Parts: sequence; structure tokens; C-alpha cells
Amino acid sequence: MIEKEITVANRAGLHTRPASMIVRKASEFEAEFFIHKDGYEINGKSIIGVMTLAAEQGATLMLVFEGPDESEAADAMTELFESGFGEVK
Amino acid sequence: MNNSSTSISSSDGVVGETEAGEERRLFGIDAAPGIAIGPAYLYAKVSFDVQRRVLTAEELQNEPSRFEEAVRRSERDLNKIIDVTRDKLGEDSAVIFEAQLLMLRDDALYSSVLTYITEHEVNAGYAVHKVMSKHRKVMEASDTEYLRERATDLQDIQDRIVRHLRRGQILSAIDPETIVVAESLTAADMILFSRKGILGCATDFGGPTSHVSIMARALGLPAVVSMHSVTEKVETGDMLILDGISGELIVNPVDETIKRYRTRKERYARLLQEEKQLVPLAAETIDGHRVGLEANLELREEIPLLKEYGAEGIGLFRTEILLLMEGRLAISEDEQFTIYKKVVENTAPGPTTFRVLDLGGDKLLPMAHREHNPFLGWRGIRVLLDKPDILVPQLRAILRASLFGPTRILLPMITSLSEIESFGEIFEGVKNKLKTEGTAFDSSIPIGAMVEVPSVALMADQFAEVVDFFSIGTNDLTQYTLAVDRGNDLVAKLYEDLHPAILQMIKRTVEAAERADIPVSLCGELATNLRAVPVLIGLGVQTLSASPVYLPAIKRVIRAMTLAEGKELADQALTSGSAVEIRQMLDQWLDEHAIGVSFFLNRDESST
Repeated sequence: MIEKEITVANRAGLHTRPASMIVRKASEFEAEFFIHKDGYEINGKSIIGVMTLAAEQGATLMLVFEGPDESEAADAMTELFESGFGEVK
Repeated sequence: MNNSSTSISSSDGVVGETEAGEERRLFGIDAAPGIAIGPAYLYAKVSFDVQRRVLTAEELQNEPSRFEEAVRRSERDLNKIIDVTRDKLGEDSAVIFEAQLLMLRDDALYSSVLTYITEHEVNAGYAVHKVMSKHRKVMEASDTEYLRERATDLQDIQDRIVRHLRRGQILSAIDPETIVVAESLTAADMILFSRKGILGCATDFGGPTSHVSIMARALGLPAVVSMHSVTEKVETGDMLILDGISGELIVNPVDETIKRYRTRKERYARLLQEEKQLVPLAAETIDGHRVGLEANLELREEIPLLKEYGAEGIGLFRTEILLLMEGRLAISEDEQFTIYKKVVENTAPGPTTFRVLDLGGDKLLPMAHREHNPFLGWRGIRVLLDKPDILVPQLRAILRASLFGPTRILLPMITSLSEIESFGEIFEGVKNKLKTEGTAFDSSIPIGAMVEVPSVALMADQFAEVVDFFSIGTNDLTQYTLAVDRGNDLVAKLYEDLHPAILQMIKRTVEAAERADIPVSLCGELATNLRAVPVLIGLGVQTLSASPVYLPAIKRVIRAMTLAEGKELADQALTSGSAVEIRQMLDQWLDEHAIGVSFFLNRDESST
């Protein structure tokens, strides 16, 4: 299992578009992917889950990966978050 | 005017009461040309409150497959919408529907609904409502306003499924060959409706540059928008004539009117054929004076229209739709660069004129900033000078794209020389930074000012010293000069785009440009008011820029006039005391010289 803490960088937060990017990226990997925020846990492969996190800019999230390709999944997801989803930071 | 008397002869003898079948004319903004005749379909945004119903054992057995069928139909809708949106509006606009597609099979929706149906033995519609409102509540509790608003995306997908569970009361109820009447329409609505074979649409809200209008033009459907309360005045089944050329809707037309419009429709089709032949010809007067014809665009997907309608470049590329996704600024410098580069490359050798973000006024402000008088408030360059975090990335992206073809930058809502100066400081900073980064760009890229506030027209000589070109925006210039809000029914009549004062403003601007030897173009709706074309050319406007579909008709007028005639008409108009007089004089000239063109004028001559 890999755990990784990350901060939401883009200004608009995890709205519909970034949520859809996260879910699509996560679905490329076999590893299970969960996001924890304020004691709340959602499945990172569920777009409705990611949207209902309502994570605003600056929110701290704990990403959890578990599965055979967990380290590749963790790297890919970190890159996506750090890119700010191609949006205004 | 057609004062039909059919309504008086009602057999029950009630006098003075408006009969349902009386012919009425309603007016709006002509958003996409064409004429449609057919019955109305009132597309009301029904609220889908779902009743709870306990199912019988037999119903319960069927309910999951009924739900599956609704999901499948929703998928089919969304896939269609995604395809067409991508094609006509671009990938960015399609993202929201791709997200909805993902939601349909999301466990948090799909499996949860199935479980809810089985556990509570209720109808699927109610289960969808219960499951989705739980998710919505979580989002609505967010501290961030924007994220709270995104709960509407969950509502949309719920409505879509419920609609299909009811066997699509909405969509499949739309007969082909109807004219859709709605408060407002989204790009997605337009796509599905056009697949249903509708004839056109009329809406309460929207402007010439809103999504519904762009979509209607791209799909070749006539549209009239900004009709204010058309949804209250029309009912499903009413006979309608929609005139997307004059911006009118005729409700319950009498036979004679229908006959007249059938003829008008045929004439329009013939004119379109003739206009196609004009596309390869030059926009040149009889005595050999060349006029530039350029296009107003807002999406890179519209680029093929340049060739189709014979535009020589882009006189106005509006960047609002591009930069404001879902009503919010969410596009990076690199994303902008990629799009601008494509636009510039595909428009070359013709020039591309990017107007930097023109926020405010009637456009949505992303910062939830409410103003009492937005048209006199924080808009255009005023916003950009206050918000370098918006302006700088856009300038960088445009500069980087300038390497790929002739590019120009246009500044909106300029009122004072000091704004040009402040902009210049920021612009120099941006250029220096790019240089030190080793990024190449066209260092002589022209900077122009919109002439849309009287102060600029009055001080045109001073402005001509500090900018490289002028672009006259007649819509705002008219509203600011005459102090008239065209959207306000009480005063809309006073909005006269051919008012002598407006022509004076244009004259001053053109003369100052000539003295300073800088180009001057006109990109407002006045360019599509064909009677104005000879005067504008006569006044010395060098280039006209308009939505591409209107360019062939403009060219037809130019090719029917001489420069001398234009100058004479302009002189007469300038000394005239009223817009009505000017209008009559120009209409007469058009009737005598440019056969067929008077067809496009917004005057009560639908019989011609």
C-alpha cells in the first residue's frame, strides 16, 4: 500500500472536469485508489465520489493506492495533481 | 403591417377579447438567418419531482431492466452530444458531458440505485432521486461557492435518467418539423433537437454570441433570441413563422401571411445559391475600390467558415467563450497557446485579431461581483488592468502564437489614453520576460483599440498616435452615445444604429486613422445592416468584419456600388437630422441599385 499526501493546487478545486480526469487516470491502473479528506473516504475511481469530496484549492488530501501497479498509479496521480489539471493555479 | 380582421368575427359574439388564433408579431435578435414555418413546440424545463411508488412483486422484477434501459438511452444521448459538441464547439465544451457519461455507470449511482430499488421496493425514478440527492447534499454543504454550484451537474444527470424512465416525455415528444420555443437552450439541447429535425428555435434569453446562436448558425437552423417572454406568449401547437433574418416570430399567421413567407423562404434559398457564387469574387466596388471583409469568430471550430463564406481574415476573435469554461476562468497559458496557434495557422496568410478577454457588462463575472450598472462598471480593459493574473497569461499565449501567422491584439472598452499607457507597461514587461526566457514572438505585433465609447471617437487623433489600428464596435458605441439599453423593451425603439451622431463618431474615427495612417475596421452589427454598407464605405471604413454567414450579402452590396456613390450617401446622411430620414434614403438607394439585397433588411417588407 502507498499513501501520499497532496494539496489541491488549481484555483477552481476538484470540480467536474478535474474529477473526470482523476477517475479516468485511476481507471488505467489495476490498483485500488482511495482518497481521504477530513475523515471522509471515497473511491477514487468513482466520479461522483470525487465530486462529493468538494475539495477546494489548498485542501489537503491523502491518496491511498493498493494493488500490483500501485507505485505507477501513485506516480501518475501525483503528476496529474501537480499539473493543476492544466488549469489556472 | 397586416391587420388581419379574422379575430373579430368570432361566432360566440365576445367582442374585445383576444382570440387565441389572432396573428401576432413578436420581436427579438436575429441570431441565425433563415426562415421556418411550422407548429410550435414549447420546451419547458419541467422540474422532475419524482413520486414514490411502492411496486408490486411483478413490477419490482422489471424495474432494474427499466432502469438499465433508461441508463442506456442516456448513454446514447450523451455520446451523440459529445460527438457533435467536440466537432462544433471543441473538446473543452465536451468535457462536462464526458463527466456525465462517467457518472451513469458509477457505482455511487448505478449500483446504489439498483440496491435502493430492491431494498425499498420502489420505482427507479424515486430511487435515482434519493441516491442523487444524498450526493448533492454533500456538495451543497461545501464552503466554496463554485463547488456548491457543481451540484447542478448531478441534478442534470438525474433529470436525464428520469426523463428516459418516463419514456422521454421531452425529447421523443418533439415532433420533427416543429419550431422549438424555450426560455434558453444549451448547446446540448440544440444538438439533440437538430437530430430530431426541428426547423428552428426562438428563446427568451441569449445574445448573438451565446452558445445557442453559434450552434444554430453552425447547424444552419434559423434562430431568434432575446425575445424576453416568448415562452409565455406561445403554446405547443401554435402555428409559427420564424424569421431569423429580421428577428421576428409571427404567431398564428393568417393564410395570406403564410403564403407570403413561403415565397420569402424560396427567395432566401435562391439568394443563398447566388451568394455562393460571390464567395470567390473580390469585395470591390464597381469603380475598383477594394474593401476588406473579415470574420467575427469565437471558436477555433468555426475556422472552416472563413473559406466557406470568403473571409480574408479574422477581424474579431472573441475570447470569452474560450476562457470562461462553465462560467469560470479555467484555462492555462499553454492551453490558450495551443488554440491560438491553430487559429493563427489556419487563418494565415490572413490576419487574426484576438480581442483580449472582454468581461463584464452583459457577460458573466466569475468573481461573483454584482454591480448596479454593469455597462458603466467594471468591464473590458478595466478588469484586465486590475487582474494581471488574467491578462498576462493571455498576452503570453497570443505572443507565442504570433510566430505562426499575422496576429493582432485588440483592447476592449478603452475610454482614456492612460489605459493604453498602463496596458503598454504590462505588455512591455511580458515581452521582456519572453525575451529573457528565449521564447520567440512577433515583436512588431500591432495593438489596436476598440472604438466603442464616445470618448475614444472624440479623441481619435490622440488615440491614433498611441495605437496601431482602430476597430469600431458599433453595438456599444450606439448604446453609449444614445444612452439606450437595447435589451430594455421600454427604450429599445430609441436604439438607432444609423443615428446621425453614430455616423459622426465613425467619421471622426476614420479621419483620424487616415491622418495617422493606421488601418480602421468596423466589427459591430452595423456591418450586417446592409443598408449601412454604402455609407460605411463612403465614410472610409476600410474593412468590415461580421459573422461569416453575413459576408456574401455584404459583398453583394459592395459590388453594386461605386465609391463616389458611397461618399455622396455618406455626405447626405451626415447632414441629415434623423435616423428615419437616413434609413429611407438608404433603402431607396438599395432598392434601385442592389437588387435582391433589400430582402435582408429589417423593415416591414416581408411581402417583397
